[in-house]
Amino acid sequence: MVEAEEGTDVAKAGEDRDDGLLSRYFRYHRVHLAVIAAFLVYPFIYSFLSTAPVVGSTFDLFLPDVETMVFVVVIGLFAMSFDFISGYTGYLSFGHALFYGIGAYFVIMAATGLVPFLSDETPYLLLILYGALFATGAGIVVGLVSFRLTGVYFAMLTLGFAELANIFIRDWSYLGAAPEAGITHGPGFSLGVPYVDGLQVHIGRLVGDSFHSFFGLFGMTEQIAQETVSFYAIGLLVVVCYFALQRIIHSPFGKVMVAIRENEERAKAVGYNTYWYKLGAFSISAFFAGIAGALAAGYRRGASPDNSFDLFVTADALLAAIIGGFGTLAGSLYGHLFHEMLDDFLSTESHGLARYLQGIIPDSVLEAEIVGELTLQVVINGLLAGRAELYLGLVFIFFVLVVPQGLLGTIRERIGGTAAENLPDHLRRYIRGLRK
Amino acid sequence: MMLEVENIDTYYGQSHILEGVSLAVEEGESVALIGRNGVGKTTTLRSILQLTPPTEGSITFRGEDITGMETFEVAQRGVGWVPEERRMFAHLTVDENIEVSTPPEADLDAAYDLAYETFPDLEQFRDKDAGTLSGGQQQMLAIARGLVGQNDLLLIDEPSEGLAPLIVEQVSEALEALRAETTMLLVEQNFEMAMDLTDRFYLLDHGQVVESGQSDDVSADDEFIQRYLSA
Amino acid sequence: MIVELFFQSGGTLTALDVPLSSTPVTEVLTDAMDPGALARIVLDSLSKAGLYITIAVGLTLIFGLMGVLNFAHGSFAMYGAYIGGVIMVVAVTSGTGDLSRLVIFFGAAAFVLALMTVVGGAIEKKLIRPVYDRPPLFQILLTFGIVLVLDEAARIVVEWRGITPRSRWEGPFDTLPAFLSARYDVFGSTIRGIWLFEIAVGAVIVVGVYLFLTRTRYGLYIRAGSEDGEMAQALGIDIRQAFTLVFGVGTGLAAFAGVILMWDPRFGASVPLTIEALLIAFVIVIIGGLGTFKGTVVAGVLVGFIDGFTTWMLPNYDAVEFALVSAVLPGEWAIPMSSNLPEATMFLALVVVLIVRPQGLYGIEEVGGH
Repeated sequence: MVEAEEGTDVAKAGEDRDDGLLSRYFRYHRVHLAVIAAFLVYPFIYSFLSTAPVVGSTFDLFLPDVETMVFVVVIGLFAMSFDFISGYTGYLSFGHALFYGIGAYFVIMAATGLVPFLSDETPYLLLILYGALFATGAGIVVGLVSFRLTGVYFAMLTLGFAELANIFIRDWSYLGAAPEAGITHGPGFSLGVPYVDGLQVHIGRLVGDSFHSFFGLFGMTEQIAQETVSFYAIGLLVVVCYFALQRIIHSPFGKVMVAIRENEERAKAVGYNTYWYKLGAFSISAFFAGIAGALAAGYRRGASPDNSFDLFVTADALLAAIIGGFGTLAGSLYGHLFHEMLDDFLSTESHGLARYLQGIIPDSVLEAEIVGELTLQVVINGLLAGRAELYLGLVFIFFVLVVPQGLLGTIRERIGGTAAENLPDHLRRYIRGLRK
Repeated sequence: MMLEVENIDTYYGQSHILEGVSLAVEEGESVALIGRNGVGKTTTLRSILQLTPPTEGSITFRGEDITGMETFEVAQRGVGWVPEERRMFAHLTVDENIEVSTPPEADLDAAYDLAYETFPDLEQFRDKDAGTLSGGQQQMLAIARGLVGQNDLLLIDEPSEGLAPLIVEQVSEALEALRAETTMLLVEQNFEMAMDLTDRFYLLDHGQVVESGQSDDVSADDEFIQRYLSA
Repeated sequence: MIVELFFQSGGTLTALDVPLSSTPVTEVLTDAMDPGALARIVLDSLSKAGLYITIAVGLTLIFGLMGVLNFAHGSFAMYGAYIGGVIMVVAVTSGTGDLSRLVIFFGAAAFVLALMTVVGGAIEKKLIRPVYDRPPLFQILLTFGIVLVLDEAARIVVEWRGITPRSRWEGPFDTLPAFLSARYDVFGSTIRGIWLFEIAVGAVIVVGVYLFLTRTRYGLYIRAGSEDGEMAQALGIDIRQAFTLVFGVGTGLAAFAGVILMWDPRFGASVPLTIEALLIAFVIVIIGGLGTFKGTVVAGVLVGFIDGFTTWMLPNYDAVEFALVSAVLPGEWAIPMSSNLPEATMFLALVVVLIVRPQGLYGIEEVGGH
């Protein structure tokens, strides 16, 4: 993969020679910009289509709502941080939820005055930063010990640390009378430039800022507008994080990470102290996992052991990274988008498939017994309502067996390089081919 | 022909190791495969065993095409392997190493007798873990494993490697005795030893057979041999 | 836990509303030497050790032979618990005698063992075989995918039958013979009959697997294949058949353990049993050293005793104080008892063993790395 990228770099250099710095920059990032634009307009498209007469409910069935999109970008960032260490160096960080959980708990604890020496008035953006730094510290400690091991022993040791933290947090009476249930911060958070009120927006489920005058144009309800504001604010930070991670991957440091994955002995033989490179990559990864946790907790206005330190939180990142493309960074976002769309599609709520089918199929058919007491109603409820995990597992197995490169990895293989660099030219050639 | 290797190409990952190797071994013959380090001698043996299956060409054993078979199927047809670095089952005892190499239908006591009569030195260590044996003893056990397997053809890889000269002498004698009993394809760095133990030889360079002939007819001084064997 | 104490006992930060009454660790150890306490600890620990080894032994054999860390192992135990439970609940009525119940139980266990051995073998052949030549990561991922599917499928069926998947299924407890559900008094401590049953079954499994590995030709093949699969194949051993067999039997044994767990009030059949069983099995095989039977047995007993001892401590103390720690650090230091203590101690043992001895107690250095 690296070789292919380097090859196209040379080809690109010739093409871009005459352009100015800025236009070259935009040319390089045009795919990124297209993706960002798609995410930007999505809330409007969703609102328009899902409220349209007649076909609205069908669109609502297939399209994830904006609140879901908030989690797509947040968990997507977490999955990217997981991919950063596991996909690029080959070390499976099975306890990655530890860093996500630290970020999540830190902001809520700080906002409720539970962190010593830190005012509960501290701006959210700073809390995110501090939380991420705490996660980095934990990453360094766990990494110092764990990188003495390799393979499954490494995976199990990181899992061991995360499980210890998980058990501890469920028990930590300092957090209140029922630590098992987690902690909350009702008022929510304002994301934006610290100490400048005009440049901050209030985010969060049900309590976020909304802007009637502007969004009212599109005839949206207030609820959606709140979610949309949160989606943009959080999305902006995720974009910044993505570019930071992407820069590191393309730097000489990132090249060493890939060298470690491909053949660690050779990387050592060439003279790299792989231990410190791995530790560095792990702490960077922990930092961004911490940011993702802090964002998720901020939007939820709370954190609980089940949605932060749990093994299944790591599993979400794993699923996203594999389906999206292991070792592709951006793939994790699409992998998790797929996950959330499936969740949303098979949801038990009104926009889910089960309720949709119950709406359009006559009761007489639903209630009719197929075999014994088994009715179509029971089958729909049993196999479709809230059963995304089942199908996700099947899709996951399919990807591992048949599409091990994942979505983005397969695209890269087809077009011979990263999508950011090669997709526009590839599309142009393809369209030209169609015209002939 | 007992073994016929025809024009095989073998890759190890991305690297092309064998490029059209052909060789043949007749029943009762002892054949040497010589050449510098890294020219593909071990890979040739691994290809015959289908451990590293060739991508092109064919391998027939006793008239049967064995290309693409599972390794254990090739072994069950009577091809034995005495690998480089011995590959003992270090945590099994010497007896167990013999037992695991004996075909299930064969008489186990006869196998023990054969092994310990051929290598009397091993008998005292029967209940010791094979990993505790010395290098020379391990080499003898490795050959004994090939012996009790009731094989028609033995592929022997670098039997003298890493052994003291005195031990090499012993191993050499054991192989000389074996030569009368079975067919051998021998990979050996020690040129003199290889020629002493075989009837014919193939010289391999860069994944190709560059010369073959009668072992008696060549000496280490030959200009041709010199060119391909000296570093 | 230490941080917890930092906040609880530091005084300068947060004072506890109700101060814990802490007991010095030396006193705890003295209390444990009381015959009643000791009997309880030993029997509880050994019964858990028997169960844990039965779960973990398949995992370690599978890893040893084929290098696959099987994440689906816990799911198989969960399936064993539910399938066994269904058989018991259907076959046993209130009028069934104790001996008949035991016979039905062994019938159910044998059926589950056989069924899940076949299922495991099929999973190995159809799903795992294609990924052997890929990096070890893919085997972890694949078996993890199997967990997602198996657990959700179990949830669908269990919910459909009106049973709550999250909490343990009480139904099968009524099928216990009186002499196993009874509590017995030993030196003033209460012992459950099923503990002794589990100790016996665990011992049979350990001895049985040991004899299979050391006294049979096939066991020899498995040990040889675990050391060097390529060499074993070159000696004519059909290693792929051995893979299928070991994966199948390992799966069957995990499910067999599940059938016992279904009867044990400390566990019971539930979908979260998947993770509980999997984590315990992981901890044991990693502490013991991946792929070694001896290590698994030793680590199983160790973890059983960690579990048994901490479980005994829970109701008896508020907090346990470590004089050594308090002597070095300022303030009073004690570990408060919580229901999560056994699990926490287990993972602490895992972390400590891996730090001190990365390949586990009896592991071989090269195994389990890259």
